[in-house]
Formats: sequence, C-alpha cells, structure tokens
Amino acid sequence: MTARGTPSRFLKSVLQNGVGRYVCQLKRISIIFSKKGQGSLGIRDFIEEGVVDYAKKNPTTVVYVSPQPCRIPKIVAEYMNGTVREEIVTNKTSPQISELLAKMTNQSGLDIIRIRKPFHTDSPSIQGQWHPFTNRPPSIDPIRPKKEDSQ
Amino acid sequence: MASGYLLNRGVLALGIHGQRVCRNVLLTQVREKKRWMKAYKLLMAKKLKLEGPPPPTPRSQKLNWNYHAEVQAFSIRLHENFSLELLKTAFINPCYLHAEQEKRQSLGVDSETTALNLKDNTQLSQKGEDFTQSFLTDWCRASFPSLPSEGVDSVVGHLTSCAVIAHVARNLGTDDLTMSAECPVPESVLHSTFMAVIGALQESSGAERTGFFLRDFLASQLIGKDLFDMWTVVNPMGLLVEELTKRNIPLPEPRLIRSAGASTVLPLYFVGLYSDKKLLAQGPGETVFAAEEEAARVALRKLYGYTENRRPLDFSPQQHQNPLIQSAISN
Repeated sequence: MTARGTPSRFLKSVLQNGVGRYVCQLKRISIIFSKKGQGSLGIRDFIEEGVVDYAKKNPTTVVYVSPQPCRIPKIVAEYMNGTVREEIVTNKTSPQISELLAKMTNQSGLDIIRIRKPFHTDSPSIQGQWHPFTNRPPSIDPIRPKKEDSQ
Repeated sequence: MASGYLLNRGVLALGIHGQRVCRNVLLTQVREKKRWMKAYKLLMAKKLKLEGPPPPTPRSQKLNWNYHAEVQAFSIRLHENFSLELLKTAFINPCYLHAEQEKRQSLGVDSETTALNLKDNTQLSQKGEDFTQSFLTDWCRASFPSLPSEGVDSVVGHLTSCAVIAHVARNLGTDDLTMSAECPVPESVLHSTFMAVIGALQESSGAERTGFFLRDFLASQLIGKDLFDMWTVVNPMGLLVEELTKRNIPLPEPRLIRSAGASTVLPLYFVGLYSDKKLLAQGPGETVFAAEEEAARVALRKLYGYTENRRPLDFSPQQHQNPLIQSAISN
C-alpha cells in the first residue's frame, strides 16, 4: 500500500507529557513464560539475571513474573493511556530481552503508525497565518476607507 | 498412536461397514481433521453476534494484580510523596462501599463478620476540589492579568469540568486503581476520585507541591486551547464596547477593508475595527457580519493577552520557581 493509504497521525504526546514533568508511560509489565519450555530459555535467563535490576531501576513500573505452562513466552506491557501491547519473546536471549524491555519502557503507548511530520507546534505562526491579503498595501485594494472617514 | 495405526490396518481389512463400528466403539482419539470444530466455531460466532461482546472486567479482577504495588508505583510515577494510607483512601468511592455492602448482605452471612472497615473519599474529594478551584483561579489571574473575572471563571470551569478531569485521570492510570461500583468507571466517579487524589496530596505534601502538580497536569491542558472555545461570548462586539469604555478608548468603528469573490459561493470579507483612526484588529468571515464578529473576537483576544502568539505559559520544573506561581500560592 502506498504511504497515503496507510493510517497516520501527527506527532503528539499523552497529556502533554514532559511539559511540566516527565512521567514514564509504562504502567505494568507481566512476563509470561514456561518453566520447562525450550523457547522460554532466554527469558528464564533474564529472570535470573536482569529482572530484579530492571524493577529496581524502574520503580514506576510494576513487574509481574508469572510462570505458567505455555509454549510461547511473552511480555505484556500496559501503558497509562490504556494500551496493552504484547511482545513475543520466543528463543530470544537475555540481552535481547533487556533491550526489548528498555524499548517498551520508553514508548508512550500511542499507536505505532506513520507520523506525518517529525515536528509539531501548537502555535504554528508568530506573525499570524498567511492569507492572500497578507502584506498587501491597502491602496491597491478595490475597497478602501472612504475619503470623508479618513479625515 | 501405535494403537491407532494398528486399528487403521484392521479397519482396512474389515471394510467400510466395520470401519463405522470401530469408529463408534474404539476410535475416540484418532488424530484427524476435527470436523466438529467448524460447527462449534460457527455456534460461538453466532452467540457472540446475538449477545454482543462480554462486559469489560475491571483490571483488578484480572490476573497479575497487586494493589499495594500498584498504588506505590502510582505515587512514584507522578514524582510525589503520597502517604499511601491517604492515597488508598482516596481511591475508595462511596458507590463502591455501597455496592460491596449490598453484595456482602446478599451472601447471607451476619453483618458483624462481613463489616467493611473502609473510609470513603468524600472528605478528601471535597478538600481537593476546593483547593483546585482556588489554586487554578489564582494561577489564571497570575498568568493572564488582563482577563476579566468571568473569563477566569470560565477557564477554571473548563479545566475542572468532568470531561477534562476524567481525561486527565484516565491518562494517568487512575481508572485502574479507582474502586467503583460500575466497571467502565463513569466520568463523575473519576472526577471525584481525582479530586480526592489531589486532596490526599495536599494533606501529605502540602499546598506548594500540590500547586505544582495541578500546574503540570491540569493547567497544561490549556496548551493549544482558544479562549472562546472555553468562554462562550454571545455578543463579542458588545463586550468589546464595554471593555473599551472601561479603558477610556474611543469606540470601535467597523470598516470593510478587503473583500474577494463577493458574488461566488465562497465570498470573503475582511473587517477592520478602527478606534481613533487606528486599526485595533481585523478578522475574516463569509459575511460582513461574521467578519465583524470575528474582528471583535480578535480585538478582545488582544486586549486580554490571550492571542495565539503570546508568550508560552511557564511550566519550568520546580527548582527554578516562578515568582508568579509563588505569589499565586501565597494569595
């Protein structure tokens, strides 16, 4: 599909985040993995090595570790605006998973679609919006103040 | 599987008639195409279509939920030092207490063993609402010194309205923690809960920090908002005349400055307001009257210091404190 046909949005943040203070948008993370499964090997490693460090480094995120019989281990992230995002971590190694978690922590939870412009402003023009009459001397115009008014 | 294989061999030997018998009696676990699956799926789809999707369950009734940890993370997330007891009280709504008590009574156990030892957030909510109202009024007066009191009231009314507060509360993750009787938490309940959170913050960290909290999360909702979206002025020309007489400026004279396409379906008129032969403001419109009204609004915005190109509001972090806000707090 062409770029015009794909869904798109403008650059924005949740609740003007960062204007007053920065609020980490990741609310909670649940790590779902199997105790025996082959594909969960990397995430088991990560739980042994890195998950406590991650939780200590990010006190704003609640981390749940839930072992359950499953074939596909995954990380379910919930964001402040209600978005729930699942990432499948089958056969991923421990450093890969910590990289993925860092990425999820920095995301805002807004949908990941094409962003139309890489910048945004709420006050687009200091001088006022351009229109065809901008900077046009009034004398050229067909309508001008009548002579007796200007006196 | 081995038995299945053997039986299949046997079935081949017995022929079609024997196969049917064998299937019914012995072969219950043969690996094959699940022919019942399609009918089952269709039934489920039909059921979903008839009954609609199941009602949403609150996050606290789903898996992986630790209320204490969630509340603690909430307070750290906002960079505030809440007292956790107060914060937990702030999330308990009277409607939840009512529903919970009814539920316990309907279970038929005597009321002493099932008594609820919880305090609801009515007091905190009231306190937070009063503080929000007074702080935002002071903040608006400090930020827009020339805005009249009606304008300040409508700006504060917009900021403390149910819709804006509910939007802020939803995006701060308050709706998961809120204890409410209904599941998608109604806007009014979210409003009172958020006010209670503000009240709890004021009790635990004092008025100054609560002021910064309100500035960061509520006042920042003003960014990109037009004054007359929040303040409905029916007759801007009348208001402009009133304001100008108050300031002893000669009354405005509307003049048609420019026009284009007057006989087309998209006419455009520019009306300028002159006062003492000086251009106060000009505004566009599809008719002359609309243009005049727009020009009056532009003039009012200029008078009140709420133009689009005004200096941005000060949201600098707490270390470099703003004298305006300090004065607003001390008021």
